Amino acid sequence: MKTIKTYINTLLLLVVALGWSCTDEFLNEEPTTALPSNEVFESITTADAALVGAYDALSSYSFEGLYWPIMSDLMGEDVMLVPGADNWGWFVEAYQLELLPGYQWTESPWWTAYKVIYDANQLVAYAKDIPGASEEQKKEIEGQGKAIRAYVMLKLVQLYAPAYSAEPDALSIINITEPVEANSEDLPRATTREVYAQIEADLLSAVSLLKNNEEDDRSEDRYDEGFFDKRSANALLARLYLDMEEWEKARDHAKAAHEGVGLMDLAEWVNYGFALRTSETLFTVAYTLSDNNTYLTIPSFYYPVAGYSSIRLNDQFVDMFSASDARKDYVIIQDDEIDTERHFTLKFMHNQQVGNAERIAIRTTEMYLIEAECEAELGNTSEAQDVLWEVQKRVFSRPSKTTASGQALIDEILLERRKELFGEGFRLNDIKRRSLPLVREGNHWADADFTYGDDSYYRLTFPVPQSEIDANPMINEEHQNEGY
Amino acid sequence: MKKILSVVLLSIIALVTYAQELRVEGTVIDKATGESLPGVNVFIEGTQVGTVTNMDGYYTIDVSSGDVTLVYSFIGMTIQKEPVNNRSRIDVALVPESEQLDDVIVVAYGTTTKEAYTGAAEVVNNEIIEDRPVTSFEKALQGTTAGLQVSSSSGQPGSTASVRIRGIGSLSASSSPLYVVDGVPMAGSLSDLNPNDIESLTVLKDAAAASLYGSRAANGVIMVTTKKGKAGKTSISFNSQVGISSRVGDGYDLMNSSEIYEQTWMGLYNWGLLYGENEDGSSFTIADAQNHAHAKVRETVGFNPFGVDNPLDENGKVIPGSKVVTNTDWRDEVYKAGIIQNHNLNVAGGTENTKVYFSLGYFSDSGTTIGSDFTRYTAKLNVQHKVNDWIDAGMSNHLSYSETNAPPGGGEGANPVRSAEIINSASPVYNADGTYNWDNKAAFDFNPVGLFDYDEYKYETKRGMLNAYLNFRLLPSLTFRTTGGIDYSGDKGLNYYNPYHGNGRGVNGRSTMASTENMNWNISNIFTWKKQTGDSSIEVIAGQEATGNEYQVLQASVTDFSVPGKPDLVWGGTPEMPVSYSVGWTMVSYLSQAKFNIKGKYNLSASVRTDGSSRFGENNKYGLFYSVGGGWHLTKEEWMPELSWLNYAKLRASYGTSGNSSIGNYESFGLYGSGANYSGYPGLSPVQLENQDIRWEKNAALNIGMEATVFNRLDASIEWYTRQSEDLLFDKPLSAGKGFPSIKTNLATMKNSGFEATLNYTAIKNNNFTYDIGGNISMYSNEIVDMTTEQIKSGTKIVEEGASLYQFFMREWAGVNPDNGMPMWYTNVSSDDSSNGAEPESAYADPLGSGRQVTSDYEDAERVRLGLAIPDVFGGISNNFSYKNIDFSFYFYYSIGGKVYNSDYQTNMHDGTDPGYNLAVDAANAWTPNNRYTDVPRYVVNGRDNGDQMSSRFLEDASYVRLKNISIGYNLPQTICEKIRVQGLRVFASGENIWTWSKFKGFDPEGALNGTTANSIPGTKVFTFGVKMDL
Repeated sequence: MKTIKTYINTLLLLVVALGWSCTDEFLNEEPTTALPSNEVFESITTADAALVGAYDALSSYSFEGLYWPIMSDLMGEDVMLVPGADNWGWFVEAYQLELLPGYQWTESPWWTAYKVIYDANQLVAYAKDIPGASEEQKKEIEGQGKAIRAYVMLKLVQLYAPAYSAEPDALSIINITEPVEANSEDLPRATTREVYAQIEADLLSAVSLLKNNEEDDRSEDRYDEGFFDKRSANALLARLYLDMEEWEKARDHAKAAHEGVGLMDLAEWVNYGFALRTSETLFTVAYTLSDNNTYLTIPSFYYPVAGYSSIRLNDQFVDMFSASDARKDYVIIQDDEIDTERHFTLKFMHNQQVGNAERIAIRTTEMYLIEAECEAELGNTSEAQDVLWEVQKRVFSRPSKTTASGQALIDEILLERRKELFGEGFRLNDIKRRSLPLVREGNHWADADFTYGDDSYYRLTFPVPQSEIDANPMINEEHQNEGY
Repeated sequence: MKKILSVVLLSIIALVTYAQELRVEGTVIDKATGESLPGVNVFIEGTQVGTVTNMDGYYTIDVSSGDVTLVYSFIGMTIQKEPVNNRSRIDVALVPESEQLDDVIVVAYGTTTKEAYTGAAEVVNNEIIEDRPVTSFEKALQGTTAGLQVSSSSGQPGSTASVRIRGIGSLSASSSPLYVVDGVPMAGSLSDLNPNDIESLTVLKDAAAASLYGSRAANGVIMVTTKKGKAGKTSISFNSQVGISSRVGDGYDLMNSSEIYEQTWMGLYNWGLLYGENEDGSSFTIADAQNHAHAKVRETVGFNPFGVDNPLDENGKVIPGSKVVTNTDWRDEVYKAGIIQNHNLNVAGGTENTKVYFSLGYFSDSGTTIGSDFTRYTAKLNVQHKVNDWIDAGMSNHLSYSETNAPPGGGEGANPVRSAEIINSASPVYNADGTYNWDNKAAFDFNPVGLFDYDEYKYETKRGMLNAYLNFRLLPSLTFRTTGGIDYSGDKGLNYYNPYHGNGRGVNGRSTMASTENMNWNISNIFTWKKQTGDSSIEVIAGQEATGNEYQVLQASVTDFSVPGKPDLVWGGTPEMPVSYSVGWTMVSYLSQAKFNIKGKYNLSASVRTDGSSRFGENNKYGLFYSVGGGWHLTKEEWMPELSWLNYAKLRASYGTSGNSSIGNYESFGLYGSGANYSGYPGLSPVQLENQDIRWEKNAALNIGMEATVFNRLDASIEWYTRQSEDLLFDKPLSAGKGFPSIKTNLATMKNSGFEATLNYTAIKNNNFTYDIGGNISMYSNEIVDMTTEQIKSGTKIVEEGASLYQFFMREWAGVNPDNGMPMWYTNVSSDDSSNGAEPESAYADPLGSGRQVTSDYEDAERVRLGLAIPDVFGGISNNFSYKNIDFSFYFYYSIGGKVYNSDYQTNMHDGTDPGYNLAVDAANAWTPNNRYTDVPRYVVNGRDNGDQMSSRFLEDASYVRLKNISIGYNLPQTICEKIRVQGLRVFASGENIWTWSKFKGFDPEGALNGTTANSIPGTKVFTFGVKMDL
């Protein structure tokens, strides 16, 4: 009996001891693959990794990598999807100008963009207080954070709102610039004017915070064209002012962006202009062989083999190139083995593997074209002709410098933009900001024929995603874009 | 000393009497039926000396002494011992074993008797589970137990079913019950357990039954008890079963190649008429449209399935006599007959001190879909040993190894099930030269037959469940039991994409290998104190439990393969970013329970448990759960008149709380995740918003039940319950401005109320023939009582206060406009989907005469509530016959009410928006000027009518009745068995899911509980034949 009692006592002690050890420490488990948010801006190393993470978010196929650039061209006149189902239904409704609020083409870019903005908001808000970081380091993180935010917001507002030039006070996107908690009050759609003001402020600040890539020892900090610098921030300002039709400012910032860089030569243009970084690249999404979106990339859709390979060029667009144009010679092809009817383009190539190509997002040629357009608008005809000729002579777009002036000159510059920048995601916004008609002719299989002011013009503006309307009490059906 | 002396004396007397021979005779009958029992083993205890009763149940045996004890044993009967006491005639009535089994039930941290139990629990014994051609036991439970909903959403061999006890307990945390195997909660897949090793299952339904499992009990508990050895003669049993499986239903018909060719022509022609423009800007004439259709039909379909270049006449109809060269039935290519094999060897035996059960099992299912199969090897060893007069020790060990091949599902290109539905029949499987044809217009470069040949999706699981216990009888009234358990599974997965076609083409082949380890440990220490005073008793248990889990992953992939068919990573040229991580959780608990039995009339119980979990934030780490319950035996009250028809009646009531901790491990943290790399630099990116306030989901349940036996033949049990789950976690959708689409929030309160009844009736019971009929019925309503967000609309559903979780919400289909073939939806402007109360501009009066306003502009129709995915009522009806040595049984499962959104059918009724995708034959009924009254809109290639968008057009009634199991068996008579020197031999045949009544258009009305289809492998029907031999 005595022994039993001893046993009981021992066991009871054991139980108590087990209980003792089961304190809070036992119940603390931390993840191995993630850092608690409050530790990220405690050191420059982790803050800098968060900056890299923001670019990674930007590189998603559902925003910068594929969705908006490809849809921006598909919703214009120059390119189309191959009819039928060889591309698994990708972007068909965008090409047909039949977007609905619930489609992934509408939903995904919105959500991906706001995730990038969320990341950027943290960088902007907390960069100043990183313990142990130098002033230079703090400026870089804040400046790049602002440039990322401005870049994404500008694209969002261009897609989801009518053009600034046409309806500056229309409802546009959610203007969110600070880290917020999950249960904070939701924001309504701001007006386009408010959003443009915010983007302008961000970019002006970024220009003052950042240096040009070749300055000082910036490149030693591993920042290159894969990251925003002063030049690319200037380029974004040029785009912004072009939308706002503030021609002088647009011109000046375009110049600031390309000065000292110049244009690449024709060999670069046709050989690897749109797969590898070139001498005229100002900002590119730096995909690598082991870190890219494979099939969900621009080259996968544009290049005629190995990927989805489902983008074709409109015959009337092809006819716009002069016979001597090197771009037509080298990258616009028709081959019966691939397509018996339609042209395709070799402009966007793969590098070793499907999808391994940089996405050149800002290059100086665009800045030249902006400069030319602004000079023409400002009545500086010869300056405009000179700058346009820089772009045209490289590719033998025409035999000699243009002599056009006035509206004819502007039209020629806009046509050169189409021919030079096709596939790079500019067409939709160029139509909208200029309130141009959209008329599809030739071998398109989804038609469009409307001018600014027609009911159908709403089709050029994306609807606010259904999920946003469902989740945000400040945005209801009555705040949806017209036509949807 | 005195004692020892008397023992010696007794044994001397025994020695003296030993010499005297005595002949004992008698008959053995079945106490339940009064029939004589042939083949009963009669032997002298402690010896091998024995005999067997003859056809009349008569036996004689010579015993050496009048003091020995005779042992009577018979399969299915309780062993009975009779001391001879110098009698020469001993007649014995054996009691059926099952009656005893019913009595003692395994419950949380112990056992109880059915009579004394205050909770709602139901026992399912091994007869239901054994010899069924199912990979895991839960599938055999469908329809057997009231309140238990079992639904398989995939026919992938080795996949497990969704199980819900009494409704849906959670929105986004798990709603699956906790499984406890031999007293230890288990962590891995149910399919690793061999159903033939299971002795019984107890389904704990209400709070009094389950609450002792605290934070893991909110969705009920299923206690699994595995087979144990028995003292006495060692029994060896071998059981072998072979079966053939096939797709459970045929589904809707798909078009053949001529039909798809004609339909596509019409779609092109219609496009021409609607949108076609000549170069000069003039609209197409009829001739233009015909030319357009003729020119494009081959390109749109992808292939001309005919032997001639122009098989269609000017109206797009096949010219009679055109020879069809290609007409692929892709379903025939993808589906096949599966072979199921199930072989088991069991050995059970032991002495009073040591009992052993040992089994080996082999199960294989070759699958009904190419690329899907499952093979499992299991071994089990259960040992219980009496160490001394106050210590028992035991182990329950289960080892298994399984191999699964499972192709991808859902919308993936490599999903063979999806390919079979969408690749049109004009596309050949093989080219003329015998190579695979990779071109088709629906799943380009994904020929499912070719991919089956070239790709690999292979998974291996090694599982060990090792439980050990020590039981100390410290005092006659006090025991202490300590149990330790380890549940380990190691999984290896291989995904190999070939370099040439499908997923791997762009990267020249990709191979991914993942190794995961899941380790779950559990320790419990429980004291049990029992005291019996007269006809009253009290039992108190108290103890502590600690559990932890660690899950580790190591994964690597490589691309660029040059040698085909070699999936090992060393064959690839370019490595990709490898991954490793581990996650874990810990929990510590204290628990106690008291049970009172007062004069056999009243039973009371109360329990309390506290759990602390690492999964919850600082503010809410601990949870406290309790229950109270009572039972009242009406028939034992003195005042109760003795009614001849009422044999037994008991009322039960219970109330209690439990929790749900089945959420992610780190939900309370705000996190920056690794792996957000860019430009070759490692990066961090926000992956989760902080949420320190995240709390336990709590569940409070009230149960009232009644059990009765009437006329000695009808057992009835009726239960009513209501359970309220509070603080339900839900992914509350956020505005994009918050950076994340949702945050897990304790958002809602949900109530499940229901009624369930079980009836068992012994219709006929006589010498040779018995017939039992049983049935159960369950119904429940699921209602969200309270939500902090007004409404959550997502996909096909709306989640809102006052309605069920699975409520459909979409545009309401109004049919097809007979004038132009455009789809119509009711505008439903009065719906709260949009605050706009006026009819849209596009609205018009329904030409079909409903009197309502309709629109052909999809966006202008508002979404409305359109019923539930949950069935109104479900249950099972069983029939068991036995006649002499033959037994025959069948049971039906029924599920009435509830809807299913058939997105698979939607894909096959695309109205031309996915030209080149195959169509259901129904699509041929599309509107034309000559076919004006139809439910299928005009067919326009690349049309823009949106008729194929989500709407009630694809919402179907999911009601069905299914012959779940039918089986017939024959036991060889004992006399013949003896001649061939076996203890018993049984041959049996059974059919699983062999007949279904349903209006559902797809393969199988049984599917995901939320009522949506997802191109899953359909369920299977199985015919099996088996032999069971006892040695």
